[in-house]
Amino acid sequence: MNTPLLFIVLLSLTLFSYWFGLKRSLQVAGGAEHKKDLTCLPEQFGLLTAMVCGLPALITLLIFNSAEQLVVEQLLTSTLPMHVQSLSNIDLGLYLNNIRSLAASETTQSLLQGISSQAIAQPSDMTLQGQLQAALTLQELNQLTVWLKTALVLIIAVVSVIMLVRNFSLTYKARQKSETIVQALLVASSAIAILTTLGIVVSVLFESIQFFNSVSPAEFMFGTQWSPQTAMRSDQVGGSGSFGAIPLFAGTMLITFIAMLLAVPVGLMIAIYLSQYASTKLRSIAKPMLEVLAGIPTVVYGFFAALTVAPVIRNIGESLGLSVASESALAAGLVMGTMIIPFVSSLSEDAISAVPNALKEASLGMGATKSETVVKVLLPAALPGIVGAILLAISRAIGETMIVVMAAGMAANLTANPLDSVTTVTVQIVTLLTGDQEFDSPKTLAAFALGLMLFITTLGLNILALKVVQKYREQYD
Amino acid sequence: MTNSIENSTVRSVENSMLNKQVTPASSLSTTDRVTINLKKRHQKEKRFKSLGLFAVLFGFMLVVILIADITSKALPAFHQHWVKLDVNYQSDWLNVDVSSTQAALAKQMKTASYRKVLKNSVYQMFSTVSNKKLSRKEKRQLIKLFSTNAEFTLKEILIADPSFIDKSVNVWVRLDDDVDSYLKEGFAVGDAGLRISQQQAQWLAQLSTEQRIESRFNVSFFTASDSREPELAGIKGALMGTLLTLFVTLLLSFPLGVAGALYLEEFAPKNRITDLIEININNLAAVPSIVFGLLGLAVIINLFGLPRSAPLVGGIVLTLMTLPTIIIASRAAIKAVPPSLREAALGLGASKMQVTFSHVLPQAMPGIITGAIIGIAQALGETAPLLMIGMVAFIVDVPTSIVDSATVLPVQIFLWADSPERAFLAKTSAAILVLLTLLLVINVTATVLRAKFEKK
Amino acid sequence: MNKMMKSTLTKTIISLSMGTVALMSNAANAQGSSRDTITAVGSSTVYPFSTVVAERFGKNTEFKTPKIESTGTGGGMKLFCASNAIDTPDLSNASRRMKKSEFEMCAKNGVTSITEVLVGYDGIVVANSNASKAMKVSRKELFLALAKEVPAKDGSEKLVANPYKLWSEINPTLPANKIEVLGPPPTSGTRDAFAELVLEGGCKKFPWIKTIKKQNKSKYKAICHSVREDHAYIEAGENDNLIVQKLTANPKAFGIFGFSFLDQNSDKLQGSIIDGQEPTFEAIAEGSYPVSRPLYFYVKNAHVGKVPGILEFLTEYTSEAAMGEEGYLTDKGLIPLGGEKLVNVRKNVLSLTPLALNK
Repeated sequence: MNTPLLFIVLLSLTLFSYWFGLKRSLQVAGGAEHKKDLTCLPEQFGLLTAMVCGLPALITLLIFNSAEQLVVEQLLTSTLPMHVQSLSNIDLGLYLNNIRSLAASETTQSLLQGISSQAIAQPSDMTLQGQLQAALTLQELNQLTVWLKTALVLIIAVVSVIMLVRNFSLTYKARQKSETIVQALLVASSAIAILTTLGIVVSVLFESIQFFNSVSPAEFMFGTQWSPQTAMRSDQVGGSGSFGAIPLFAGTMLITFIAMLLAVPVGLMIAIYLSQYASTKLRSIAKPMLEVLAGIPTVVYGFFAALTVAPVIRNIGESLGLSVASESALAAGLVMGTMIIPFVSSLSEDAISAVPNALKEASLGMGATKSETVVKVLLPAALPGIVGAILLAISRAIGETMIVVMAAGMAANLTANPLDSVTTVTVQIVTLLTGDQEFDSPKTLAAFALGLMLFITTLGLNILALKVVQKYREQYD
Repeated sequence: MTNSIENSTVRSVENSMLNKQVTPASSLSTTDRVTINLKKRHQKEKRFKSLGLFAVLFGFMLVVILIADITSKALPAFHQHWVKLDVNYQSDWLNVDVSSTQAALAKQMKTASYRKVLKNSVYQMFSTVSNKKLSRKEKRQLIKLFSTNAEFTLKEILIADPSFIDKSVNVWVRLDDDVDSYLKEGFAVGDAGLRISQQQAQWLAQLSTEQRIESRFNVSFFTASDSREPELAGIKGALMGTLLTLFVTLLLSFPLGVAGALYLEEFAPKNRITDLIEININNLAAVPSIVFGLLGLAVIINLFGLPRSAPLVGGIVLTLMTLPTIIIASRAAIKAVPPSLREAALGLGASKMQVTFSHVLPQAMPGIITGAIIGIAQALGETAPLLMIGMVAFIVDVPTSIVDSATVLPVQIFLWADSPERAFLAKTSAAILVLLTLLLVINVTATVLRAKFEKK
Repeated sequence: MNKMMKSTLTKTIISLSMGTVALMSNAANAQGSSRDTITAVGSSTVYPFSTVVAERFGKNTEFKTPKIESTGTGGGMKLFCASNAIDTPDLSNASRRMKKSEFEMCAKNGVTSITEVLVGYDGIVVANSNASKAMKVSRKELFLALAKEVPAKDGSEKLVANPYKLWSEINPTLPANKIEVLGPPPTSGTRDAFAELVLEGGCKKFPWIKTIKKQNKSKYKAICHSVREDHAYIEAGENDNLIVQKLTANPKAFGIFGFSFLDQNSDKLQGSIIDGQEPTFEAIAEGSYPVSRPLYFYVKNAHVGKVPGILEFLTEYTSEAAMGEEGYLTDKGLIPLGGEKLVNVRKNVLSLTPLALNK
């Protein structure tokens, strides 16, 4: 039977062995009424049995599956004529691909048909007849493999259970054993989770170091010419290959700044209003509204920015007599600000609500108006939290990709004019990596170096936010 | 600490009341001074409050504008114009031999020249009416009115009912996307449009007076996959790709994330290493998604050699993205379980494992599930990392397994947004609506599940 | 918590983990299963034509629809020539002929048998939004507008960094707008063709530069093909559709792409008149429009018969219905080969005659 069916059978076997272990343990105890004589509950015996049935079999299945392809391929290749076997890996791979696709067609009939529709075989290599032969052999091998796999897995499952159950006795520590297994599983999965998170950092670092071997870090960090499109071939004339990233950083900063100009005041005011003034009814409508803003995918924002906001800004600019680029930083910045409003508002609201009521009431008790309370009491008290929120929002804006890819420009312009078009770090990463795919040209590696910059910056901002909140937060009670 | 704040509170409140004015000491009492300023302060209060309200309304307005803009752009995509043609399935046009056997005929019908049938039938329709032969240029313009898919519609109809050979049948075919846009924009009858010539406009007017043009709900938007022709393009392929990718992501990130959180929170020894791990995970939650795309490209495709554009790779990249989110949310949920619960269980003789799985985990489950669903919803809308791993090719076949080439809905939106054809604009907006609906469904599910667990 | 819940939880955990493993082993199998979809990479200019043929091919036959990626001619060649292995592309689209260096790279990596398919002709246009006026420009002026270094204004035989910021500075009859041209990056074949036909065409008009060609070919090339990097020329990626969109949004900018894109968007864009010739279908087909080049795609013969359907795809592509004068590719803006040329191409292609580049 094939793998999915095997899984289902294994699963049912596991469930059955749970019941079996349970019953067996009761048997050992001498009947249900002597349940209390066992060291652990019958259910725990059952659980142990189930795990012992399922896990070894599963591991066997996994190993078998990964090794399967290799072994079958080796066996198949050894049945091919000598001159084919001695071909290079690549040519052999091509044959095998063809043989596999022949074998994948269902019956011999369609196999024959398959040959007539396959056009030309390379002369002096394998004849079509030979390939058909090999395809049939492959089919047989596959069949054999499936039988072997099924048999092996089921036998291991059953044998493990039997061997375990023989040891059941009144003093058998079933529960402890099952807990050890579960703990091992937990350790294994969290190891995977942790290792992957480490791996992310390591691989970006690795590629960036390769980049810095060809382009000096000083040129990268402080150069002002960004012209990465180097020639593809020796006889082509391309860009000069300068990798100064300052225009990119400047562009990112400009757009982030515009975004924050929109998001911080609006977000903060929303937070204040919702926490201090709003009725429950308004709050129940406003909260979901903010969640909607936060949940809209950034590609939608990008679409909106490119097709609606940018033309509107252009038209307004033209009518005022200003020269506005069609991909102004303003358009991208405004839409990004919209996206960030929920961040600022919800984090600020948390910070404001964390200020103890005692202060607020003291102030009101003294006769201050609500606005005065907010401005002079709550905000200063909540300031660390708010600053933290703003820093987190900035790091989100810096790392944003889709809005700028669709709405911002591609020219690495060093300017402070929001009506000009600028490009950002994230846009360049995307541009550099769609097209050329080899991993040793400075062009592709530059993308990794930019990614590293991004990573370090956002990391720094996050740590800073954390520190600010921790250090300046007042411990109230 | 608290004292100083309270002191400054008092002072600042006093200051605003007195408005720091230096008034002649004798003339007014404190109460009088306060009364004078009271009105101003109340006005300030009102202004501040309305500013806040304005901010909230501004937020509403943004949401409304966004959704309304996209919906209005999307509406044209949901219906399409079809036209009724008199098709003459002449066997000599089809190039089939009517006298051959059933089986042979069936085979011939598969490769017959339906384009010729379409062309000739249409020429017939129009030259009989206008009573003169059409020039080459006119012929070309006439055929351009119909979708390139029209000949395949003819093929389907004939294969479904071979008795139509050598007969004249009424067949409904799609109109070309330029014509479709023209009709939707409602130009005056007979007026040329942007990509429609005068002559074509007149033909269309003629067809419409003959009641041959009909507007139907665009089912193919949901049942067809991507196409170069806007009138044929649909999101089925992208939807399947999204579902497959989400499935992979959920399957990988949920167990790993929860297990990791459980271990770190309950079982791991509290030392420097676990602190470092915690910092690492927290930071990864804040890393821009595009860095994960770089990772997917470098490691998963280059090192492991998995196929490009497959939901498997997309799922792995998205798992990497959601794993930190799930771990953090799960840890917060687990931390929120009161220690009293744990201690009570331990006091009754339960082992650590039993405490965790029988008491802590179920209690934390609502928070864990909510966190997982939020993470998945974020992953659903991600585009940038998937751009890097090659899901940007033109892929027409609907993926059936996780290793078939596929694209996902956000990437499809991105690709269509680049196409300049007018009709793709509507399609892109419609696809966005589908995506937003999907997200809404997921979020509602999360809320319902959370409520359900909390009731228990 | 009750027993029911606990066992449900346990079962959930077990089945989830099993599902995971199933998925993983499925993936491990993937590396061994056969590829039955034709893959193509390369030029963004040929992309619209290849995708139309691919779609029809998928609909008309039992084969899977080929997967086409737009990577740029240069980028596509690199992927194509990497090796004969099954995970390399089967076809490479190109908006210029394969260069000798690329042919040698292919041969070095074992890709020795390649079939060249001439698809048709395409013009390169310098287009702008039809909300502005069409520009009448010469190739010499385009060279002066876009090159990195240009001859000094005083006529001496020196090169200076390009000083021109407005079109009108080059020629008072040109518009007084900032020079802003969106064009393809070096991975694009259109870029190579543009450099050869337009930039070099304008560059040679300076007699002293022309004499350098005889003495020092690479220096000549460096002068004539280098494009300025001070944001007057903006490299807009491999996505010609995107350039079209940006031009409609910014009527003062110009874009460089294939005629087929102009043709498909003639309601929004217009082509500049270069050396007195307007870019029309007829002018390009006749050869009177000076900037036209042939379009190709290349087939990896080693994959024919190993990946199902390649020969059938070639048949469909070179059929009269597609590449013929009344074919559906012409409707997409391709300038077709004449009748006899097409017959020759078809003969070569279907017999998989290998390419021999002697240039």
